[in-house]
Amino acid sequence: MENIILENLSKDFGAFLAVDKVNLEIKSGELFSFLGPSGCGKTTLLRMIAGFEIPSQGKISIGNSEITDLPPYKREVNTIFQNYSLFPHMTVFDNVAFGLRIKKRPKDEIRQRVHEMLTLVKMEDQALKYPDQISGGQKQRIAIARALINKPQVLLLDEPLAALDLKLRQHMLIELMNIHDAVGITFIYVTHDQSEAMSISDTMAVMNQGKIVQSGPPDDIYERPASIFSAYFIGETNLITGEVTAVHEDYIELSCPDGSGKNLEIDSSFHVAPAPGRQITLSLRPEKIAISRNKPRAMDDINMLKGVIEDILYLGTHTQYIVRVGKLKFRVFSQHKRVYFDDKALDWEESVWLFWHDTDTWLIEEIPSESMFIDDPEGASGLQRYVKRGKI
Amino acid sequence: MLWLTAFFLVPYLIVVIYSFLSPDIYDVRFEVSLDAYRQIFAGNYLRPFLLSFKLAIYTTLICILLGFPVAYYIARAKEKLRNTLLIFIIIPFWTNLIIRIFSWRIFLAYNGVLNDLLISAGLISTPLEIMRTDLAVILVMVYVYLPYMILPLYSTLEKLDFTLLNAAMDLGANEVKAFFSITLPLAVEGIFAGTLLVFIPSLGAYLIPQLVGNQRSLYVGQVITYKIKNIPRNWPMASALSLTLLLLVAVMLLIMYYLFRKHKARRLQS
Repeated sequence: MENIILENLSKDFGAFLAVDKVNLEIKSGELFSFLGPSGCGKTTLLRMIAGFEIPSQGKISIGNSEITDLPPYKREVNTIFQNYSLFPHMTVFDNVAFGLRIKKRPKDEIRQRVHEMLTLVKMEDQALKYPDQISGGQKQRIAIARALINKPQVLLLDEPLAALDLKLRQHMLIELMNIHDAVGITFIYVTHDQSEAMSISDTMAVMNQGKIVQSGPPDDIYERPASIFSAYFIGETNLITGEVTAVHEDYIELSCPDGSGKNLEIDSSFHVAPAPGRQITLSLRPEKIAISRNKPRAMDDINMLKGVIEDILYLGTHTQYIVRVGKLKFRVFSQHKRVYFDDKALDWEESVWLFWHDTDTWLIEEIPSESMFIDDPEGASGLQRYVKRGKI
Repeated sequence: MLWLTAFFLVPYLIVVIYSFLSPDIYDVRFEVSLDAYRQIFAGNYLRPFLLSFKLAIYTTLICILLGFPVAYYIARAKEKLRNTLLIFIIIPFWTNLIIRIFSWRIFLAYNGVLNDLLISAGLISTPLEIMRTDLAVILVMVYVYLPYMILPLYSTLEKLDFTLLNAAMDLGANEVKAFFSITLPLAVEGIFAGTLLVFIPSLGAYLIPQLVGNQRSLYVGQVITYKIKNIPRNWPMASALSLTLLLLVAVMLLIMYYLFRKHKARRLQS
């Protein structure tokens, strides 16, 4: 088993640069996913690894052998296509047997291996059906069996669950992880669905505009986004931008250009100490913020601020509050626990306290541009005024 | 219904009745006779039937071989180009068939355009005898019937999901194997439809053999016409030949229908 190495890999379609100088090493046996919005180049990248697209530049290798220019049928790589692409004129058995028949393996071996594969995907009793007689989830399993029977070094999955409904998707996700554990080969998974990518991957790469923005374990990317794109694309977040006016031992001061003239102090843990005079952005996940009607007891390392509830969105598993603090809007997630901070539920226009532990903010050394927040223009423009220990 | 009875069933009944009558110089005598069928079963007309079948088979096969790549290319072309190409396939229908056949005569003639071109290109020194040969008949037949093969083929290939070919190649099939294991089986319906549209009319071809063929090899269509046109006329013979041809076509249709049903059923069973 060998690692997959992408070196300086680019692909352009005329003037459009789909993949832009990607360098990456995917470790053998890993479940690796590419996550990004549609059009970010993730599928093109996958198609280059599969051999359906020839890179304009760069190299793809599996271990020491370069496969950049090999046709798809000479690569030890198999793909699960988005719509499964099962052969409609063949039975489930013949679909799964296809790879071995092409290689002209003996009949007994084919029968035995197909049976093994169908057992692996729990479809052994459906062998004689045709693809149009089985359900979407079953097609998915057959596509997996058909690919794995060739014992590839790498299995590529192109949005494999996109066509399934939510319950089935969650079920298949676990199934895929079990299959991955059972066969032990490298899986490369492409998706635009962050929850899918986060729950399934050992390592994931966030892509945007043909480039890899950040790669690493999912919790690392979620908790420590390297860029505003990562922070914003994965999950939801509150971004707070301002100029650093002073750096103290355990807190920094941010300027507040909203007209109040005050310098606000924010007290957070920083992976790098920003220099005074720099513009910085902080990311604060909505679920990290506690919300309460009563002012909490002042504690070390807790940031607090006071705001007014502007909107309440009930989402089943949690409620999202939009809280206005000065000119800034915060999203806050609060789960429905019977143990309330207060004795009754919060209501519109109530003034509330927001508080969070200072290690829960994350510093991004980048300034958001307006275009990044198409769906949330207010959150972007008036982002800068702040807080120290509960005083506003 | 009335339409069918008046213009289809009644004329056919007349043909059936005529086939059992006795010939006269200009018309028929109303005496029942099985003579026409006796001659057919004795094999007196085997040669025109064989020739017609040979012509129909060649025409159909060549149309499939030529039509498939064309239909495939059109089906894979971009939307805009695709429509233009389809119009090109249909444009010949705007000109009368006889005019098109006559232009082929001019093109293929002993001192015609084709020979002139080949001689001036230095490929041959004396003109080729193409006109009035069986080759000329097949050539013009293919020319006329090719669109009838391309259009149904195109309509099945257009529906073909080309990611299936990617999938086949991903699983280890090279282009040739992918074609034979995926594209061809999935295009069978189009080939069936095209074959129906080409083979059956080719079997009864009259006009093209008459205009570009020779009189040494007469096809069934020509024989039937001569039985009516040339004096002494033989209406019963012409009728019996027509009915035999009809019967053969019906048998062909049944066989193809059966094959097609089998092909379909294989996919729908279980």
